[in-house]
Amino acid sequence: MGGPSAGWTAVPRDWFASFGEIVKFIWGVLKQILDLRVFKFSGEVLRQAGLIIMSSALVIWVLVFVVGLQCGIEGAYFSRAVGAPANAGTFAALCNLRELVPYAFGWMMAAKVGTGIVAELGSMRISDEIDALEVMGIDSITFLCATKLLASWLTLPFLYVMAVGAGFFASYLAVVEQIGEVSSGGYFLLFWMFQNPPDLLFSLAKAMAMATIIVLVGCYYGYNASGGPVGVGTATAKSMVLNLVMVHLIGMLGTQVFWGGNARAPIGG
Amino acid sequence: MMILTGKTIVSAVRPPFPYGGEFISQFLFAVRLCWFPLLISTVAVSYGASGIQAINFLNIFGAPDRLGGFFVLAAIREFAPFVTAIVLAGVAGTAITADLGARKIREELDALQVLGVDPVKNLVVPRFLALMIVTGLFDVYAVIFGVFGGVMATVTSGLPLGPFWATFLTNASVIDLWGSFVKCTLFGAIIAIVCCYKGMTASGGAEGVGKAVNQAVVVAFIAVFAFNYVFTQTLLATNPEITVIR
Repeated sequence: MGGPSAGWTAVPRDWFASFGEIVKFIWGVLKQILDLRVFKFSGEVLRQAGLIIMSSALVIWVLVFVVGLQCGIEGAYFSRAVGAPANAGTFAALCNLRELVPYAFGWMMAAKVGTGIVAELGSMRISDEIDALEVMGIDSITFLCATKLLASWLTLPFLYVMAVGAGFFASYLAVVEQIGEVSSGGYFLLFWMFQNPPDLLFSLAKAMAMATIIVLVGCYYGYNASGGPVGVGTATAKSMVLNLVMVHLIGMLGTQVFWGGNARAPIGG
Repeated sequence: MMILTGKTIVSAVRPPFPYGGEFISQFLFAVRLCWFPLLISTVAVSYGASGIQAINFLNIFGAPDRLGGFFVLAAIREFAPFVTAIVLAGVAGTAITADLGARKIREELDALQVLGVDPVKNLVVPRFLALMIVTGLFDVYAVIFGVFGGVMATVTSGLPLGPFWATFLTNASVIDLWGSFVKCTLFGAIIAIVCCYKGMTASGGAEGVGKAVNQAVVVAFIAVFAFNYVFTQTLLATNPEITVIR
């Protein structure tokens, strides 16, 4: 990314240049998990899982909550505008579960967990702690990256389902309590009618794909940081760029694959 | 942070104005970094989230031709400012925090002060102004590509484009566009202040800079979304005519 003198195409060129390395790195981490070698460090996995819950859960829920409020008010005004104000619940159900909760989750994961990993691993790399691990005979990729990935797989599904709950609650607050568009019963009738367990599963799949990519990209940029304190800062910024784009691409592909040809709605068009 | 906001605004308007060159280089820096990620993000979000899902929603009413009307709401009022703010905070904001944080760690900021150069006036003000203007302008860019995503969604669903444009243009109002533009400019201001503040108060070596970037993005996201909620609510409640679909 360089300084202010970086060229116009620096960002995409940088991605092309490091694409192969990132894929190789990701494969390296995944292999550690598939080989079950990561279980040598199950204590570290649990510690990382605890860290995710203690430090990231609350911010993620707060962001999802605010986004849920947003879904609620837009839903109320939009469904009033098409002449079907009772359908605010429909809009909130689709908007929350399928789109904005995964996005908000991805954004906050990238901001909180992704950059956190880069900062942590980057400063370890700068102060030669990673080399020290290698000297002690500990496989640093397994110990640092694979444990983080496994920890996020362990905790994030639960955290995500809680986040969906926070989003639902916020939409309910916005539509029923704040704007008073529909009655509580009428809201919930349509709200629950327009979603079913497979939808939750698809949404979860989307979010987990985002989370996996975010953790891996964070590990890559942190593990390969160089150039002193400035390098750590630049690596953190770079990881954020790539993560945001990946979150949006995964969101789009997920929507296309899961709901593209089939609205999965209880009434025909 | 509030103190920094006040100081920034005061020293932005009080002469002398030594920050012209820095302003231009920061402006170009942000534009260079952001144009590509923002392009992918806006097209992806408006194709998936608002395009496909809205066609689903409107199909229920048998009115997929209303997609254009929805895109005024989705692309102009919500997603374009949203995505612009997220990308700007994630890309330009993090770069600013990393830059200022590194300077703080290397004691360059203290050195500037010793030389009698005010860091707020010479570093924060140009970044603040540049990010505000870039975010505002990128909002227009995001609207254009957001609508392009909507066009893609319409075409891939096999719907005709005529009704899309017709409802889009009849529903688009000047207030919506101004609302979006003003909102985005204010987002830029929030992001710039948060990121500069976190960068200038970084401490603790290499890990400190990384942590500062981390906190800056988190705080900026939450602040932007909270502000967005209040702003949208106020805009919709005070301008009921823009919520009417024509």
